[in-house]
Amino acid sequence: MSLLSTYLEHIVKVLPDLVTGSLITIEITSFALFFGMILGTLAGLGKLSKKKLFRYPTIVYVDFIRGTPLLVQILLFYYGIPGLYSNATGNSLNFDPILAGVIVCSINSGAYIAEIVRAGIQSIDKGQMEAARSLGMNEKMAMKEIILPQAFRRIIPPLGNEFIALLKDSSLLAVIGVHELLKTGQLYISRTFAAFPVYIAVALMYLLLTIVISRLVTYSERRLGVSDRN
Amino acid sequence: MIEIKGLYKRFGDLEVLKGISVDIKENEVVCVIGPSGSGKSTFLRCINLLEMPSSGDIIIDGQKITDKDININRIREEAGMVFQHFNLFPHKTTMENVALAPIKVRKLPKEEAEKRALDLLNKVGLADKANVYPSALSGGQKQRVAIARALAMRPKVMLFDEPTSALDPEMVGEVLGVMKDLAQAGMTMIVVTHEMGFAREVADRVLFMDEGTIMEQGTPSDIFSNAQHERTKSFLSKVL
Ligand SMILES: Nc1ncnc2c1ncn2[C@@H]1O[C@H](COP(=O)(O)OP(=O)(O)O)[C@@H](O)[C@H]1O
Ligand SMILES: [Mg+2]
Repeated sequence: MSLLSTYLEHIVKVLPDLVTGSLITIEITSFALFFGMILGTLAGLGKLSKKKLFRYPTIVYVDFIRGTPLLVQILLFYYGIPGLYSNATGNSLNFDPILAGVIVCSINSGAYIAEIVRAGIQSIDKGQMEAARSLGMNEKMAMKEIILPQAFRRIIPPLGNEFIALLKDSSLLAVIGVHELLKTGQLYISRTFAAFPVYIAVALMYLLLTIVISRLVTYSERRLGVSDRN
Repeated sequence: MIEIKGLYKRFGDLEVLKGISVDIKENEVVCVIGPSGSGKSTFLRCINLLEMPSSGDIIIDGQKITDKDININRIREEAGMVFQHFNLFPHKTTMENVALAPIKVRKLPKEEAEKRALDLLNKVGLADKANVYPSALSGGQKQRVAIARALAMRPKVMLFDEPTSALDPEMVGEVLGVMKDLAQAGMTMIVVTHEMGFAREVADRVLFMDEGTIMEQGTPSDIFSNAQHERTKSFLSKVL
């Protein structure tokens, strides 16, 4: 009984920190998803391009990111690049951890979203492009007006999954000192040694966030789905 | 108006069109019949360059569209295409389907394009469906919208690839009716079809295609009542 009340006390005490950390987590994840979508759409189109000049770089990008751990990417970016810079120029370079986190997570999610976008575009019936082209639209116009809007509706569910995965993976940014959800919990633990209740609270916070996101995804799917059944 | 000279099309090793030469006059309605796989779709698709001919020339209104430096999009503006599976844009309303290309490609002001679209929807009997999405239309209605959509670009020629083959039987008539009106209004049309009744009644000329060549051609009565080639006779005996 007294153990439970001690745990509850810790949870109540750590909760404000965790809320602050959650906001950072949401902020980083949202920015990363936004830039990841831009990057991913470009890379997805690049992968489908007939031009080698566009196709090959995107293949290298997507394969490199998907084939290496995010933790390694974070360390490479945050410690590796400043190290290279100082070796090469003799000057020092420091990244702001949050900015570094957003950049690495954007680049990372861009690669996954590229695959989602590619699959979404390829799932649209070939007749749609042909109909658009037969009306005199050029390829770019047909993509923008006809293919991408339809593909976008189809990629909302996998994009939602990517959002959730990214939110959970952003906890890795704790290793470079970003004060996101996990890190705020760890800082509290290092002061109080209350590992069990705090990690439970951290886990529940992540769970809460991912549940909210998947609800939002289902909702927007339904909103956009109404007009779109052939 | 359309001159086709020695048209060949290969997909890898497969030679699908083997030297097709044919002239089509303004206002002429040409029906193309023939067994499945004989190259009818490929022939139509070459005329608006959805497929690039392997060799041969296609000249529309004096312009050689098979030239390397031609603007393909310009050609496609002039040749309207109606597909077997309609290919309406599911995320656009009926009105938007019809008005989109005139706005984006012809740069027509929105109001003018919508007025034109409504006019055409009226002609195909679907003005009351202007604001619904394709998912709410029957097959016959979808195909009529698709015809209106192609017409909205004011093409010089209309290409139909088995426009009624995907329809339930009770909806075939409404689509053929629209096509008949179009023929009577003087549109130049090339129609790939299995509707022999339509070909007999509306076509000025019937082409029988077999294995990538035009085996035989003539007026509907030439072909349907007095075919010369064995292949034509045997095909007709199966479909009539
Ligand atoms: N894009 C393509 N790639 C390879 N083969 C094709 C392609 N399009 C058509 N073909 C082949 O060309 C032949 C003629 O096809 P098609 O023109 O569709 O005939 P039809 O319309 O008379 O049934 C068929 O054997 C078909 O498999
Ligand atoms: Mg065909």
